[in-house]
Order: sequence, then structure tokens, then C-alpha cells
Amino acid sequence: MSELGVLDSMDTLEQNAALRCEAIVKAFQGVHAVNGAAFEVPKGQITALIGPNGAGKTTVVNILSGSMTCDSGREFIGATEVTNWPSHRIARLGLMRTFQLSRELGGLTVLENLLVAPGHQAGEFLFNVLFRPSLVRRQEREHVERALDVLDTYGLYRLRDNRASELSGGQKKLLEISRAVMASPEILLLDEPMAGVNPALIERIGGYILDLKRDGVTVLMIEHNLNVVEQICDHVIVLAEGRTLATGRLSELRENAEVVRAYLGEVIDASTKH
Amino acid sequence: MQLFWLSVGFGLVTASVLAISAVGLSLQFGITNYINFAYGDFMALGAFFSYVLNNEVLHLNIWFALVIGSFGMGVLAVLFNRLILSPFARRFNKTFYVLIVTFGLSLILLNLEYSIWGADVRFFKMPIDRVLHIGPLLLTKDQLIVMAIAIMLMLGVHAMLKTTRLGKSMRAMSDNTTLAMTSGIDTKRITTITWFLSGTLAGISGTVLGITEGNLTPASGELFLFVIFAAVIVGGVGSIYGAMAGAVLIGLATEISAAFINPAYKLDTAFVILILTLLIRPSGLFARPGRA
Amino acid sequence: MSGIWYYVFTLIFFLFDYFILAMGLNIQYGETGILNFAYIGFVAIGAYVTGALSLPNSAGTAQHYILGLGLPFPVNLLLGGLAACVFAVVVALMTLRRLRTDYLAMVLISLSLVLYDVCNNFVPLFNGADGLYNVPEPFAGALHLTTNSFIPFFAAVTGAIALIMWLVMSRITRSPIGRTFRAIRDDDVVAAALGKDVFRQQLKSMLIGSFYAGIGGGLIIQFSGSFNPTAWLPGETFVVFAVIIVGGVGNNIGLLVGSLLVETLLVHLPAFLPAIPGHPGLIEYFDAVVIGVLLMVMLWFRPQGAVPERVRRASSFGVRERLLGDSGAVSDDIAPSPQLAIESAAGPGDGGGQ
Repeated sequence: MSELGVLDSMDTLEQNAALRCEAIVKAFQGVHAVNGAAFEVPKGQITALIGPNGAGKTTVVNILSGSMTCDSGREFIGATEVTNWPSHRIARLGLMRTFQLSRELGGLTVLENLLVAPGHQAGEFLFNVLFRPSLVRRQEREHVERALDVLDTYGLYRLRDNRASELSGGQKKLLEISRAVMASPEILLLDEPMAGVNPALIERIGGYILDLKRDGVTVLMIEHNLNVVEQICDHVIVLAEGRTLATGRLSELRENAEVVRAYLGEVIDASTKH
Repeated sequence: MQLFWLSVGFGLVTASVLAISAVGLSLQFGITNYINFAYGDFMALGAFFSYVLNNEVLHLNIWFALVIGSFGMGVLAVLFNRLILSPFARRFNKTFYVLIVTFGLSLILLNLEYSIWGADVRFFKMPIDRVLHIGPLLLTKDQLIVMAIAIMLMLGVHAMLKTTRLGKSMRAMSDNTTLAMTSGIDTKRITTITWFLSGTLAGISGTVLGITEGNLTPASGELFLFVIFAAVIVGGVGSIYGAMAGAVLIGLATEISAAFINPAYKLDTAFVILILTLLIRPSGLFARPGRA
Repeated sequence: MSGIWYYVFTLIFFLFDYFILAMGLNIQYGETGILNFAYIGFVAIGAYVTGALSLPNSAGTAQHYILGLGLPFPVNLLLGGLAACVFAVVVALMTLRRLRTDYLAMVLISLSLVLYDVCNNFVPLFNGADGLYNVPEPFAGALHLTTNSFIPFFAAVTGAIALIMWLVMSRITRSPIGRTFRAIRDDDVVAAALGKDVFRQQLKSMLIGSFYAGIGGGLIIQFSGSFNPTAWLPGETFVVFAVIIVGGVGNNIGLLVGSLLVETLLVHLPAFLPAIPGHPGLIEYFDAVVIGVLLMVMLWFRPQGAVPERVRRASSFGVRERLLGDSGAVSDDIAPSPQLAIESAAGPGDGGGQ
């Protein structure tokens, strides 16, 4: 694959990358899932991470979000190097993620799922809980108000008191996103936010993601559906066999190289089968 | 020096008992992916089956009693799995439910043994033993037989895993159950056979433990269980060969420390090694890293 | 006081004491998902330290033990609880960060056995197999209590302590701390991705639970005046698990119910039955079998326990409800977006966000 070279379209890339990684390598029992992936995620834009199955997309997201460590390589959030930081520290820098298979906190209600998200809660400290209950209560009420607003926006309001385990697949997808949003992220990594949901919902989720961009959130999303990529993403990163194959606008990628077009064809095949 | 070689002899005997039990525990762990906390009671129950055959009915020779009693335990293990453990494991996807159930099964078995056989110390009926000098080691004939049984069983397990279709299926299942199922392996049958083997090995190790220690109570298995845990963790949980190596290491370490420090703290030596292993190399000393 | 009252107050004492113990294990296991199979070890440390602190210097007695400071009642009890916390920190640092559930359970049960072994064999620590005895009865001198009047008195003291500890625990479990614990229990990877320091939170949960264990243990030695290794065989941990699972994981009132059903009715009441001639201990053995079976039956037929965990409703936070036209049933696929919900209020079945 290396003879393909990296397709350069740096002209569209802004100076300030919200998230950047260099030469990420990760092997599982000798098999390289990620093998030198390197890219930048421009600030305030929606970037798609595409590539065939087994390209290492989810592994890259796992490494970027700290859910997994990498064998070598470097990762930066803004100017801060965060290579192999544990995920809670990365989260505290404003990077939130969702999971490919929804991972709801099943024993908690939908509302409580969101209430877990805010950082720096006074009520997470034993001292405050025992001796400053009014502070805790006041902050808690603020969080509840905001959580209900978020649920309202995402159409989950009337499910607020249901246990998260009782939700349907599509509802869980929305819960994943709204929970991450509740944490007021600066960067949001979405791992196939539209996989396995009906077309109407795909459109709605696309709308939500555009809303997030308008609010200044940087989004990196793994997506198979090239129509969606075309409609909402500003920038595309193509991953293959654990390497960054090309970056740029989808239209550029389509026109610029014969080989890449053939490669994108494969992706389209994969997405229609999905 | 004599004390040292004497304790090495004891250590090898303990290692033999440990190896049998640790392999039995690991086989089952590899397939079902949860630890059986009732394993110590399986050992004691198997030993009591042998005891009954040896002392109360039939009055069999101890080695015959061992074989039949242990097979009995194997069958019982299959029943426990079918009737209790496997339904719970299927119903709850969180490991801790089934762990608590095995813990509960342990309590039930222990107290059933107590109500049947009481708390008195029991002894197997053994022919008069002889002491033999082997190099610098000083071992009795029974101890040698126990070691021979252990070596034969280890070789047998090794041959089974490497050469038979059953062994290959077991290894495939232990690597990835879903994949094994989709590639046409009858996982239910393999699970049943594994529980039978695990129960049988528990019975054998429980009985030889009674023989080498010279006594048997319902609690013998439970106290020994923790030494097995040490061997299994030191060797790397789920790794059969790791369990064998861990058994030798823990067996020697406990007996040598018993001779030179204080026999009362035999268990604690095993625990110290366990903790050191966890701190230095949590996946186990003999396991491939990254499979913890 | 007649014998029957002695029994009744003993039962009441153990009801309250196991309520405290169950709350401690519940915050670890029920709320945070830490399978602490060494729980009874923390109880024992609380008991030994509480006892040894209230006993006089061991030089003048027939017993061997450390500490021996002759401290008065609530002080020694609090320090006993803190001693269990110190032990929890050591255990957590060794194990919590690096072990998955079943490893952790194996290591902890081993730890419980080693602790038992050390306390049983190493006489200078807590008098070995004989354990501590002749522990001074709290307030007995000041209030001129006799052996008979001490028992109801101390059962009442324990009840008051249990009440306070229940109020504190309710506040903890209802606060964001408790919610974060439950998030870790349900999925620690998600909790970490949301910025929660899972180890730190688990450590916190271990500390709170261990304090409860230590206090519960301290009260036992103060009540009975003695404590020895036969009182805390590693299987005792299982009784506390049974209390929680029978009563209801994650519900503090359920724990009191569980304590009544398991500890009072199953563990202690049969202990007062006359022994069957020729079969010493048979009742106890059968009792343990019944507890084991009961636990499995409960886990199968009613895993949420007698009194299940309560759902924390939005309305309970005291915020204004929003006015939405989404009074309809929850559709199978997806709730309609708010605007759509208002439009389709008449026919909510057609949700799905066209």
C-alpha cells in the first residue's frame, strides 16, 4: 500500500488541529491492527474516518480516546501530548467518545445516564456529600435541568425515567450521543453513530451532528455510508490496513487518483451490504 | 542440607497434588471463563467417595477406590454444571453472578460433607508403607506412586490437547467460544466433557491429598484451594502448562519455606509469591503476555 | 432477666449489626461491582483493633496482643473502623488497579485465608487461636450495668449507630457519588470514557465499605466481649452476600429485610435450638446448606431481591417538568423528536421520526 503514497490535500487543512496523531502502531498477538496511522482532525469541523472492515478504524478511536494503549506513536489534543493517557484524563481534556455497539449504563435510568457525564461534580466528593449538601443539591438541580434539555433535544425526554437497558437499539444510539454531549465536549469521536438504524433516524442523527458543529464541537466519526459522509463531513481520512491512505475532501478523493477511486468503490460496496 | 533435600521431596509431592488440581481447575476455566470456587469442595467430596469405597463399602484397595471415587466426582461435576452453573452462566452475562453461585455451591457441599461425615479427621486404609532413598531424596512408596500418577496425568492431558480432536476443539473453545461454535464444534458436548475431566481431576487430587497428608476432613479441600489459586495465577490463569509450572514452583516454595521458616506459615509463602507475581507480571509468569 | 429476653436482644443486636455489615458490602458489591470475597477479613480487623484498643496493656494479662491502650468506647470503635480502611487501601493498591473480576475474587479470598492464618497462628498479634476475651463492656461501669442489663442496652446502642450509618449511607447512595459507583458497576469502560477515574472511585467505595465492616466488627467484640478466629471463617463472607442478595442489591431498606431473614432467622435463631443428640453441629451444617440453597433460589427467581433497587425518577430532583405532547406509549423503534411529538400527539404509534 505504501507505493500509493499519501494523497496530499493539505490546502484544506487548517492550521489548528484539534486532534493529531503520528505513526500509531498497535498489534494484537503479532497481528498489526494499526500500523503507522497518522492524521490531523481540524478544529470545528466534521471529519469522517472511513476504510474497509479491518482497516483499524475502531482501534484508532479506542487509542485516541484512551480506552486502549498503543505500542508506539504519539497523540496530541491541541498542543498537549496525551499519548497513552488513561481515558478519564483524556476525557477531562474535553474529548468524548461513543461506542460502536451501544454501551448504555443499563441499571441507571436514561436521565441518570446523562447525569453521570458532567465533570467536576461537587457531589462526587464524600466531604461535600456529607457536609455541604446544599451545594450538592444546587449543582445537581442545574445538571438535571440541562440533562432534561439535552434529552428534549434528542427526543428522549419521555423515556427519562426508563432504565437504559429497556431502550431499543435506535434509542440507545441516541442515548450514547446525548450522554457524550452532556459532558460538553470540545472533541467528539463517534464510532459508527448511524450503524443499524433506520434511514429516518440516520437523517436525524446527521442533523444533530451538524448542530454540534454549529456549537463549535470538533467531530471525528467512523462512517461507512458515503452519502452521509458527502452530506455532512467537511473532511475525510481514509484508513487501510492500519495506515492513513489519504486525506482530503471526499470530492477530491474521488477525482484525484484512479486507485483511490477503485478503493472507494470497495467501501461503497461494503456500505451497501451493511 | 539433609533438611533441604527432605523438604524438596515434600515439595515435589505437594507439586504433584497441586499440578493435578490446578490443571483440573484451569481446563474448566479455559472453557467456561469463570473460576469455580467450589473446586476445593469437589476435591474433598471426591476424596470422601474414595474413602467410602476404601473404608465403608466394598473395602477396595485405595488405588482402585481412587479411580472409581474420582470418576464419581466427574459425573457429579457434570450434573452440577448442567443443573446449576450453566443455567446461571447463560442467564446472567455478568461474571459475578455465577461466581457467587459457585461460592454458594461450595458452602452447600462443605456443610453437606460435614453433616454426613462429621468434623472428625478420617484416614485411608493403606498398606504398610516403605521409605526409599532416591538420590538425595527420601520418599515413601506411596509418595512415589502419587508423583507417578501426576506425571502420567500431565502427559495424558498434554497428549489429549495436542493430538486428539477433542483436545483441539477444547483449545479452540478456550481461545474463542463464539468462533468455535460457528466453525461447527459441538460446544455443549465439549463443555460437558471438560466438566467431567475437571471433576475427575478434582477427585484424584483430593484423594491423593488425603493420602499424602495422611488425613481427610471436609475442609481439607477448601484450605488447599487457595494454594491452587496461587499456582494458577502464578502460572497464568487459563494456561494449562502455566498451571503445571506454577504448581511445581508453589509446591517447592511452600515446603522449603515450611522447613526453614515455620510450617504454620506455609500458605502465606504461596500468597507472597502470588502477590509478587501480580505486582510484577499480572498475566502470570508463564503465560503469553496480553492474554490476562 | 429471663433467658428468653437474652435471646431476643441477642437477635436484635445481630439484626442491626448485620444491617451495618450488609450496607458496607453493598456499597462495594451492589453499587460499585467489586466482588470483595475478603469482606469478613475487614470485619475481623475492625473487631480485633476495637477490642485491643479498649483492653489494658497486655503485660498485666494472660493474653498477648498489640495496642492495649484502654481507650473508651466510641473512640476505640472509630479507630477500629479506620483500621479496616487502612487495610482497604493496602488491598486496593495491590489488587484493584490490575485485576479483572474473577482474578480479584480469587486474590481476595486468598487474602482472607492468609489473614485468618496469621491471626490464628501469630499469637503476639491478637492472641492467636484463643482470640481476645474479657474485653471491657462499654459504659457498664459508668451506668452500673449488670451482665443482664448490658445486653438490651448495647442492642439499643447498636440500633442507634445503625440508624446514623443508614442515614449517611442513604445520602451517599443518592448523591452523584453513588451514581458514579453504579456507572462503574454497569460498565467501567464507559465510566472512564466519561472522565471518571475508575480506580479512585473504586478505592473510595472500598474505603466506605471497609469502614462499615470495621464498625460492624467492632460492635461484635464489644457486644460479646470476645472475638476469636472461629467467628470469622472465610465462609462468613458468604452470609453477608446472602443478606444482600436476599434483601435486595442496591436498596438499603432491603438490606435490613435481608438481615432479618438471613442473619436473624436463619443464622442465629437455629443456634438457640437444642442440639440433636449424637450429632453435634448438625443444625449449623444444615443451616448453612439452607442459606446456600436460598441464595441460589433467590438469584434465579428474584435476582433483584426482596426489596429491589429503586428507580430514581426525574421528578424526585425537584425540577420543573417540561410540557410536551408526548404522553403516548413508547414506540418500539424510536421516540419522535419533540417537534414531531407535538404534531403526532394524537397518534403516537406512528413515531419513528418521519
